[in-house]
Amino acid sequence: MGVPAFFRWLSRKYASIVVHCVEEKGKECKGVRIPVDTTKPNPNEVEFDNLYLDMNGIIHPCTHPEDKPAPKNEDEMMVSIFEYIDRLFNIVRPRRVLYMAIDGVAPRAKMNQQRSRRFRASKEGVELVEEKDRIREEILGRGGYLPPDEIKERFDSNCITPGTEFMDNLAQCLRYYVADRLSNDPGWKNVTVFLSDASVPGEGEHKIMDYIRRQRAQPNHDPNTHHCLCGADADLIMLGLATHEPNFTIIREEFKPNKPRPCALCGQMGHEIKDCQGTAREKQGQHDEFADSMPVSEQEFIFIRLCVLREYLARELTMDSLPFPFDFERSIDDWVFMCFFVGNDFLPHLPSLEIREGAIDRLVNIYKDVVHKTGGYLTENGYVNLERVELIMQAVGVAEDNIFKKRKEDDEGFKRRMKEKRKRMKDQRGPAYMTTGQFAPQALGRRGRPEAVENARHQAFDMRMQHNKSSAGPSGGADGRGMKRKAEDSDSEPEPEDNVRLWEDGWKQRYFKNKFDVDVSDEDFRKKVVRSYVEGLCWVLRYYYQGCASWKWYFPFHYAPFASDFKDLKGMFTDFEKDTKPFKPLEQLMGVFPAASGNFLPTTWRNLMSSPDSAIIDFYPDDFAIDLNGKKYAWQGVALLPFVDEARLRASLAEVYSDLTPEEVRRNSLGSDMMFLQKSHPLSDFIHELYRTESQEGTEIPAELCHGIQGTLNLDDDPILPDKPVASPIPTLRDITQNHAIGVKFKDPHFASDFVFKAVLLPGAKMPNKVLKPGDWEKGNREPWRPQLGFNQHRQQAHLDQSGFRALGHSVNRSRGGGQYSNAPPPNMYQRGNYRSARSGGHETFQHSRNSSSFQQPQYPPREQQSYGRGGHGWNRAAQSQQSAYQQNASRGGAPPAASSGGGYQQQFDSRREEWRDHPNNRGHQGYSSGRGYPAPPARRYNWN
Amino acid sequence: MANMDVEDFIQQNRALAEQVETFRGYWESEKHWEARREFILRNISDYEDPHLDQLVSLSMVWANNVFLGCRYSSVLLEKVKDMAEGVVVEDAPVFKTRDEIMKKQKCQ
Repeated sequence: MGVPAFFRWLSRKYASIVVHCVEEKGKECKGVRIPVDTTKPNPNEVEFDNLYLDMNGIIHPCTHPEDKPAPKNEDEMMVSIFEYIDRLFNIVRPRRVLYMAIDGVAPRAKMNQQRSRRFRASKEGVELVEEKDRIREEILGRGGYLPPDEIKERFDSNCITPGTEFMDNLAQCLRYYVADRLSNDPGWKNVTVFLSDASVPGEGEHKIMDYIRRQRAQPNHDPNTHHCLCGADADLIMLGLATHEPNFTIIREEFKPNKPRPCALCGQMGHEIKDCQGTAREKQGQHDEFADSMPVSEQEFIFIRLCVLREYLARELTMDSLPFPFDFERSIDDWVFMCFFVGNDFLPHLPSLEIREGAIDRLVNIYKDVVHKTGGYLTENGYVNLERVELIMQAVGVAEDNIFKKRKEDDEGFKRRMKEKRKRMKDQRGPAYMTTGQFAPQALGRRGRPEAVENARHQAFDMRMQHNKSSAGPSGGADGRGMKRKAEDSDSEPEPEDNVRLWEDGWKQRYFKNKFDVDVSDEDFRKKVVRSYVEGLCWVLRYYYQGCASWKWYFPFHYAPFASDFKDLKGMFTDFEKDTKPFKPLEQLMGVFPAASGNFLPTTWRNLMSSPDSAIIDFYPDDFAIDLNGKKYAWQGVALLPFVDEARLRASLAEVYSDLTPEEVRRNSLGSDMMFLQKSHPLSDFIHELYRTESQEGTEIPAELCHGIQGTLNLDDDPILPDKPVASPIPTLRDITQNHAIGVKFKDPHFASDFVFKAVLLPGAKMPNKVLKPGDWEKGNREPWRPQLGFNQHRQQAHLDQSGFRALGHSVNRSRGGGQYSNAPPPNMYQRGNYRSARSGGHETFQHSRNSSSFQQPQYPPREQQSYGRGGHGWNRAAQSQQSAYQQNASRGGAPPAASSGGGYQQQFDSRREEWRDHPNNRGHQGYSSGRGYPAPPARRYNWN
Repeated sequence: MANMDVEDFIQQNRALAEQVETFRGYWESEKHWEARREFILRNISDYEDPHLDQLVSLSMVWANNVFLGCRYSSVLLEKVKDMAEGVVVEDAPVFKTRDEIMKKQKCQ
């Protein structure tokens, strides 16, 4: 789901769902790396059976990382992907199944989003190169130094789309990787590996869901399988809930806002490309010993426990005295459905429902209000009851007017507060000039007194030069007067014009006029939009619960209607067209690429994207309008791209199909999922036998051989077989001479096309232990509640004795106002931030995450843990219109206390580090963001399918 | 071809008009479709059957430019503007393209 706010909202409201991963690191001894033995019990004190990888979430950060230099070539990218999978395997340690799914051709419904991302990515890439060239020239012209631009061809991330050569190579490399690990890593010995590459249609996460759905619908499935799904998309949480498997955990990278990024020009940290000076790199540490240990900290992972989320939801959704029996599983499905209103990849969200404004809470309240009128649930097994949905929508519609008005008020209020704050900050500025180097002010009373001053004259000269140099910079970032002017500028920053003005009467009329260019009285047109949207809601829910109902369906507008427009829904939708087929990979490339990415296509195909005589030239505009839609930056707006006419596309392609080379024909064809095993696996002999007898038809897996996993096996044309060497597709990696892996084509169990997958708990499923504090705990008058931090209820909690706390207190000041020297920077502090943090009070409450009795905070008793986030959502508003402002707060109050396992001190440390940056001493190196001429895209924004 | 003429033309060429009607996109409002239909009917004599898709494509280029704010190469835009000679669009929407937004933000 393209809604990063959703995860933020969820993890704040339901704090205990997040558990930090414990990762055992490989050791090194005399230059020899000792790999981690993953056959040992999982250090997270839980055992997982199946690990599923939504590979596109891995491919993107490995091929064009944002926090470290990009890999030099494709081989390095592959190695980086392998290492990433190794890391995940080490953390999760699946015991039965590893399923890797790469996005294949997506349903048509997704194409609009893919088009918009790829058209934008293509433009952003060109702009970055232009900007780089311009600044490089400027710097060189000033006599600055830059490392030579050894960068090769720019990596066009658009090639991460099914059908390209890159994706084909990736599939080859992953086969090699799997064979290698199965042959050489003892932790993989008993694991069944599935690989669904880009040649198999369907989005990665949905191929995984299909697998789970079909496995659990067959009688041999183990209902207590513990699933672990890797991926950062918020919709994975919905998908996990939709399986109704009791043991389902998601693993994802922990989002750390404002991670330092190296400058794209000189590769140094601490500034953005705009502010690059072309200066020589400073020594890191006395003898440059920290040169490579620069502050790029490795991304850490977190688990999201869906069973805990289910506990929370049970509390929130359970209703008494209903006219029908309450079924928690059904209410979860309704909750998932309502989350779609707020945003998903296939439909634009309703204008009145913003997740940051508590839209989901509002929906849940409405849901509970009207449930007496609806007389039942909104959905069943992924099918929607439209009459009941209409009641919900009408209730939202009633509030719509007020929502828009309040949004405007909050927005104004936020802006006013920010302005006042900036004003306050300005008054509090420290001195404009501060001595540095050995003359730098030193905190008193610290260990190690200042050294005697040496070579004072030279140092003073340096300081003077330093000052001159920085104020001569293009943005004058360090110059006091320049700063001031900028700050004032941003005060009166022009607002993007908004013709719709949803907060003023007549908003509906203006909305339809501006967004659809129709009059509000055009009932027929409005009904058409509503009908499409209703179809969309049905399609999306079906997609989550039953699989892709139609490969052809899509939402043919750029905007959603209002909730109040949803009238007379009954009978508005019956069913989707049956037996639709997905696009072929190269056809889909033609559908989602701009002409600028045509190099991934054969020449005659490419010509169709640019020739004025092409019969599909209208699909490929050079530039397109962006409707900011109330937002500030281009990347937040709606890209107004034309829709692709499938019939015309196919007709045009029919004429150039004959130009494909045999290699391209292969890349354009449908592939199959693969299954790999180690030769000691019980199923291995069975498969080997199939190859020996050259069995031509599909064979069912005997359930007893593979943990009850079912499916159909077919022989691979160029199989990986035991004792048959596997050549390495990557020059830097060795061939596998001693191969112990075997591979075979795999097909999910087949069910009739009208089969309905039931969204229920399976018989025999044991529910995991409860984690949340029972609501009546106090009544029992027992010992104080101890929240559970990890997977294990009986986890040994570490304690510090008095001396330990003294030591901690010494190096980490406990409270901000407490320490006399709390503003002093630590030794060797790196200038790594690129923004000045706002001095917001209030995070003191978050300082101690421990609940051990000796260290309890009276103002933050442990029982607060559950009610956290239920109260006023102050952060909602703060997050509203300024992403960066949110991020600052997020990194301080970030993970709520008590839920994070032992990360409390680190967190406190981080938040203090930001304060230091506020220190006048550092001012000269900061404020980059305020000197920014145009906005950088958000830190994590990959084009995942 | 004024509005009346379009109606007349449709009356006189029923079969052709029906075929043209199949080119309408689901998302097109009356206003957008009527303009594009006129564009197609005005030029249909120059694009007999095997080239009909090309005419549809050109009509979309024109409509996307006018109603959606898309930019195409100047050669193409000139061509469709010529072809649209006489088609009257009242109160056409105004757009900012991505390039324009980026340029503006850079200047700030």
